[in-house]
Amino acid sequence: MSMQSITLGHYIPGNSLLHQLDPRVKLISLFILIVALFLIKTFNGFFFYIFFIGALFISSRLPWKYFFRGLKPVLFIVLFTLILHFLFTKGGEVYWRLGALTVEEMGVFMGTFMTLRLILLVVTTLLITLTTSPVAFADGIEHLLRPLRPLGVPGYEIAMMMTIALRFIPTLMEESDKIRKAQMARGADFETGNIFRRARNMIPLLVPLFVSAFRRADDLAVAMEARCYRGGEQRTKMRELKAHFLDYVGIFTVSGICLAIFFTGI
Amino acid sequence: MLIEARNLSYEYMPGTPFQVEALKNITLGIEKGSFVGIIGETGSGKSTFVQHFNGLLKPTSGQLLVNGKDIWSHSIDLRALRTKIALLFQFPEHQLFEETVFKDVAFGPRNSGLKGKELAGRVRMGLEMMGLDYEIYRDRSPFTLSGGEKRRVAMAGILAMSPEVIILDEPTAGMDPLGRQNFLEQIERLHREENLTVILVTHNMEEIACLADKLFVFSRGKIVLQGSPGDVFASAEQIREIGLDVPSLTRLLQELKKKGKNIRTDLFTAEEAAAEILCRLGGRDRL
Ligand SMILES: Nc1ncnc2c1ncn2[C@@H]1O[C@H](COP(=O)(O)OP(=O)(O)O)[C@@H](O)[C@H]1O
Ligand SMILES: [Mg+2]
Repeated sequence: MSMQSITLGHYIPGNSLLHQLDPRVKLISLFILIVALFLIKTFNGFFFYIFFIGALFISSRLPWKYFFRGLKPVLFIVLFTLILHFLFTKGGEVYWRLGALTVEEMGVFMGTFMTLRLILLVVTTLLITLTTSPVAFADGIEHLLRPLRPLGVPGYEIAMMMTIALRFIPTLMEESDKIRKAQMARGADFETGNIFRRARNMIPLLVPLFVSAFRRADDLAVAMEARCYRGGEQRTKMRELKAHFLDYVGIFTVSGICLAIFFTGI
Repeated sequence: MLIEARNLSYEYMPGTPFQVEALKNITLGIEKGSFVGIIGETGSGKSTFVQHFNGLLKPTSGQLLVNGKDIWSHSIDLRALRTKIALLFQFPEHQLFEETVFKDVAFGPRNSGLKGKELAGRVRMGLEMMGLDYEIYRDRSPFTLSGGEKRRVAMAGILAMSPEVIILDEPTAGMDPLGRQNFLEQIERLHREENLTVILVTHNMEEIACLADKLFVFSRGKIVLQGSPGDVFASAEQIREIGLDVPSLTRLLQELKKKGKNIRTDLFTAEEAAAEILCRLGGRDRL
């Protein structure tokens, strides 16, 4: 079902170490870890990195299948990279030859290397997104964008838009599921036919969905205005973000790992 | 038996932390030409259950049979089944999408292959069954109609498919009392005159008590009570336990009976109850 795949791509509630960390710390750590991934030059570096990520993964107690599910969409790119390197990156010993095609040492090395890097990139991102609630994410982004306010970056508004959008994704998914079923009950066919036909068959789904989205947006705007909503400056928050001891430990560890990778050149 | 559920269970999002066991081992049968009421508190699984009748949901385990055949066996064409067993969702006005009322009502019958005169005939029939004048409404945009009119148009769209069974999921939710009464009268007339099998989902006890010949009471995904309205509402205690209430008329009659009056409690229209009370209390049994 469509609803499952979308809602589940993102956040799995829990109370592990990763779940408890401050979203700002997680966002910064994600950035640092991605930088670290691109600094790694040897397989030893990858082992070191996998060891660290693996420990976090085990402590997060996330089921394996979410990682496989999250990796599925990039599988094609990963395979493509692998094959491209195997076939076209030349250098070193020749492992295998068929006519003009050769697989050489450098190709195997680069292919495996790049593939590992891509997979780890996705896994790291998943580890963070699966353990951070969308609302916490938006809060974190708002805080991190605060210093840019004088430059005209509307951090608060961006976060509010994100929060509202995220709030309505499940609602709209549910709505589309309902409308789809209601039209199927009238004999609508969403599954067969060529692409043009299918696109046209989507009209009975899309029109009511847009009508409903506009109605909801309208309702929300009225409700916010009725409560004298105004964004920005002096607004207080229900959940104040506060970094704790563990958050500092987290950020130092991650920075330490990144520096270690850079200076040891592994 | 027209529709039959055998040990039917359904889970939403199985194998995830969001898993919900919405239906647990439901077994029931619905006869042709009957008027069946399905009642239960919000979230008890009523909507989930009725979506199995026309194959919109597939049971996680158990079977759903129509005319004795499992609808998930390969020989059954679900799209054809859906024109025979029509389902009107809650807030059906949200499903309207065409530019004109005519086109919207025609959507269902057109999907089952009707064209031209026959199609127009069906649209006229559907609209008129819902008390909407064909000439006045056919060219109007469904989006400019009032809420009540929209709902009638949506219902007309279902009736235009000329179904044998019609399932209505809380069709009167959010309607004013007069609109509600009118709507139910149309349904009742269709049931009587066209011998339509009606399955009405509701949590309004008053409206179902005098319409249905059989009631199924759902609570937390299970059937907890079933039988004629008289039988079901006789178990007033149990009904209250699951957060529902018996019709106020029944409550009155039951209170009188508790006070020692020899009175029938299985009457559900105001006229019958009034006659019964007058006869029992105004006559021999004077207070
Ligand atoms: N699309 C859905 N996804 C997940 N859970 C659902 C969905 N629809 C209903 N449920 C859950 O299934 C249970 C039964 O719901 P429903 O059949 O809508 O009850 P009712 O119609 O009696 O109010 C509820 O607990 C509800 O939260
Ligand atoms: Mg419901």
